[in-house]
Amino acid sequence: MAQPDARRIAVSEESVNRVDDRVPSDLDLVRRIKAGDEHALEQMIERYHARVYSLSYGVLRNAEDAEESTQDTFLTLYRKIGTFDESKKFFSWFYRVALNQAYSRARRRRPGTTVPIREHLPRFLDDGRLAPSDWPDPSVAIEDEAVARELAARAGEFIGELPRTYRDVILMADVEEMPAAEIAEVLRISVPALKSRLHRARLHVRQRLAEVSRPAQRQAAS
Amino acid sequence: MTKKTRAKSGSSRSAHLTCERLVMEALYDFEEGTMPEAERAELERHLALCPPCVHFLDSYRATGKTLRALKPREIPPSLAQTVFQFVKARCGKKS
Repeated sequence: MAQPDARRIAVSEESVNRVDDRVPSDLDLVRRIKAGDEHALEQMIERYHARVYSLSYGVLRNAEDAEESTQDTFLTLYRKIGTFDESKKFFSWFYRVALNQAYSRARRRRPGTTVPIREHLPRFLDDGRLAPSDWPDPSVAIEDEAVARELAARAGEFIGELPRTYRDVILMADVEEMPAAEIAEVLRISVPALKSRLHRARLHVRQRLAEVSRPAQRQAAS
Repeated sequence: MTKKTRAKSGSSRSAHLTCERLVMEALYDFEEGTMPEAERAELERHLALCPPCVHFLDSYRATGKTLRALKPREIPPSLAQTVFQFVKARCGKKS
């Protein structure tokens, strides 16, 4: 039998190491999970648990609920991984799973009421001029950390009263700071549609913050 | 000029910029930096003459800052391990 070529063996070992060292893609992990690879599941959890938790927290506004929703999301991932279409991007499928899980939990916890987006938008005079606002400039106020926390808590409530089509975009864009193209892919909408919804959602939250700030300002002035 | 004739004659967003058009139609692109330079200049001219719109823009920006503060400050430190054990316990036969 011919002796193995020492140089070829060295090259071969090097290439094996390179394969082991590289970061597996989402699709690699998906295929390995489908094949029952426990370590791949662990890697997938390590990769996505923080983002799923953060997104869930945005919907649920509660750490315990967000943690349980994260667990349920990965359980659903494991159970439904067989239905994932490998020609699609994994993260967009998985984010939809995470959002649905969080909304489902939110409905069980507190069936909320949403308000039509038109109800809380800026007001204009007949000639198109902005109606004067008496909202104090919060860009100054939120330098105070306690005020910033209070405002953020109220903003979270106001996001919660938005119809889901608007809530999803503002959570992903302004809280999670995801790129527009990724959000559009997750929600299966066009980027222009995303921009339109996002702007309206921001206007709603801004208007609601203005409304709740006015009585406090008047009280402070009196 | 009535609103109707303005709509007919205005070929671009900036042709007759009112507060309403600025806030409802142009503000997003202005803030995202995706607005054509000519429209941006028009909008800046409007802002220079319109304190209510400046006030509005400030509060719109502050809202964005407030929303970013909604992100959870920390992820539970053992969450990944907890999730893994949770899934394993419920799918033990499979994993």
